[in-house]
Amino acid sequence: MTQWMVLYRKEWLELIRSSKLIWMPVVFILLGAMQPIMTYMMPDIIANAGNMPEGTIIEIPTPHASEVLAQTLQQFGTLGLLIIALISMGTVSGERMSGTSAMILVKPVAYTSFVTAKWAAIVTITAISFVLGYGAGWYYTAALFDTVAWQDAAGSLLLFGLWLSFIGTLTILFSSLLRSAAAAAFTALGTAALLSIATSLLPKALAWSPGKLAGLASAQLTSGTASGMWPVIGITFVCIIAALAISVWSLRKYPSIEAV
Amino acid sequence: MTLLTVEQLTKTFGGTCAVDGIGFTIHEGRCVALLGPNGAGKTTTIRMLTGLLAPTSGRIAFRGFAPGADHRSVIGFLPQIPALYGWMTGQEFLIYAGRLCGLSAKEAQIRCSGLLERVGIASAAKRRIAGYSGGMKQRLGLAQALIHRPKLLILDEPVSALDPIGRREVMELLRELKQETTILFSTHVLHDAEELCDDVLIMRAGRIAVGGAVSEIRNEHRQPILTLEIEQDEQSRNWLRGWLQAPPAYVQSTSANGGGARLVVTDVHAARRSLMGELLESDVRFTKLEIGHTTLEDLFMKVVTAS
Amino acid sequence: MDSISQEKLLVLIAPLIALQLLLTLISLIMCVRSKDLNGPKIMWVLIILLGSLIGPVLFFAFGRRSS
Repeated sequence: MTQWMVLYRKEWLELIRSSKLIWMPVVFILLGAMQPIMTYMMPDIIANAGNMPEGTIIEIPTPHASEVLAQTLQQFGTLGLLIIALISMGTVSGERMSGTSAMILVKPVAYTSFVTAKWAAIVTITAISFVLGYGAGWYYTAALFDTVAWQDAAGSLLLFGLWLSFIGTLTILFSSLLRSAAAAAFTALGTAALLSIATSLLPKALAWSPGKLAGLASAQLTSGTASGMWPVIGITFVCIIAALAISVWSLRKYPSIEAV
Repeated sequence: MTLLTVEQLTKTFGGTCAVDGIGFTIHEGRCVALLGPNGAGKTTTIRMLTGLLAPTSGRIAFRGFAPGADHRSVIGFLPQIPALYGWMTGQEFLIYAGRLCGLSAKEAQIRCSGLLERVGIASAAKRRIAGYSGGMKQRLGLAQALIHRPKLLILDEPVSALDPIGRREVMELLRELKQETTILFSTHVLHDAEELCDDVLIMRAGRIAVGGAVSEIRNEHRQPILTLEIEQDEQSRNWLRGWLQAPPAYVQSTSANGGGARLVVTDVHAARRSLMGELLESDVRFTKLEIGHTTLEDLFMKVVTAS
Repeated sequence: MDSISQEKLLVLIAPLIALQLLLTLISLIMCVRSKDLNGPKIMWVLIILLGSLIGPVLFFAFGRRSS
């Protein structure tokens, strides 16, 4: 455990030194706050765009606060996912390519600790950024539209947070299987997109797929319930553990790149 | 006392055999050089010893551990080019390495300052590693390999990437260290091995061609050698050319050597008498006839160039 | 919903604008001071300035050569 904490603290220090711990929360806050503001100002923006004959009255129905927050989640589901993939794409491959993994893994370090400490650091920074960003979205929605019940907001936060963590884990998995960091990010995002699409195309067959998490988070907001979430949550946890196990296996098999 | 026993260690990559069933033992307190030309399988052997590479077959047994057990806690390793976190300071990296080896925060701190002093980078301890020179990184790499007082220090080509001064300094450090711990280091330079080591393992094409204590190898493989030099007149040169084409039975091997020849011989007395006679008879104007012995370098060259 | 005045809206948005400026500024300073960029400096400056939110993100993710 002590050794795990040493590894985790090193990851944490790296997040600070590489300034990820500053820019990622800031970007998430902007991302979260932008959607309610844009939605609020949309009628004005359209009205000022010109091209409108004098006296045109634009009727845009005011969206419900929960819908605005659900749209905010969609922002996190695109740009947010991209950012998570970008910060975790070099987690394992970066150390392996630079040779630092070889320096560390000749010491009596458990391979599992090495991977899980990195994973925990990614999940931590994701959680911090997402809580702040979603909090900002919730605050601006409340200020500009209406307050969304905190229980629903919290429920959707947990569901969507799990989806984000799942993508972070996938990126770590691919960064331990592939040499190139960019390829790892690309594959993880591609897998996320495929999962989401497949889940919406085949809702019955993939009722338990992690791809449902984003939809469940929205449902929690708009209807107050996310029915059938427990199996999905369970499967997602199983997938996360399996992905970590494969990463550990891959690292144990290839601790460094220069084999000769 | 035996520290490490390796038996039938083999590694194949695809179809090529990088290490081919080698076996050796390392005794406690010895300094062992793994010597061989590039591509002989030195690095592959070392990576298997450190656990970074799984052997295709064979056995690595460390004293106090079951064969094949995880013995990483008793080895310290410095790769050919140490890879360090550029965003850490030297001190941070060293403490991190120590804590990973199970030292307490306090112990790691104490070991760290001692080692930084010892390898001579104490003044740069609080600077980012990204700004270190190659020599400084090598020293920090050495310090991190020593942080947990390993029983066996494994170094892969520790001096080959350094300039002559850095090389000298690291060699001096190793000379001190061999008083304290067992060292195995690989090199392709015979001189480095001869200078520092008690034992030497000469590798060629994935096998150990010669292995043992340096002094013993030197004695065992010592052969008498005759060095003959002649004046460069027509007659003497013709004679030598003819003579080398069909040398007498006592000559084991010959090699041309500037204005003469080096002859490895079997019976030094017979060789001396007979050659002297022939030289006088043919009136060869020789300038030098010397009797000596083969050096380790002759052996190394013989082993390495043997086909 | 139109109960919010222009001023109040500005007050709400101001911290966000400040954050956006901060982000741009931090990445600009890092970009200008960095000696080890992936590609020409001027390109990154333009990306940061023109790419509002995604510009700094791209710079942080790909701009600096990791050491």
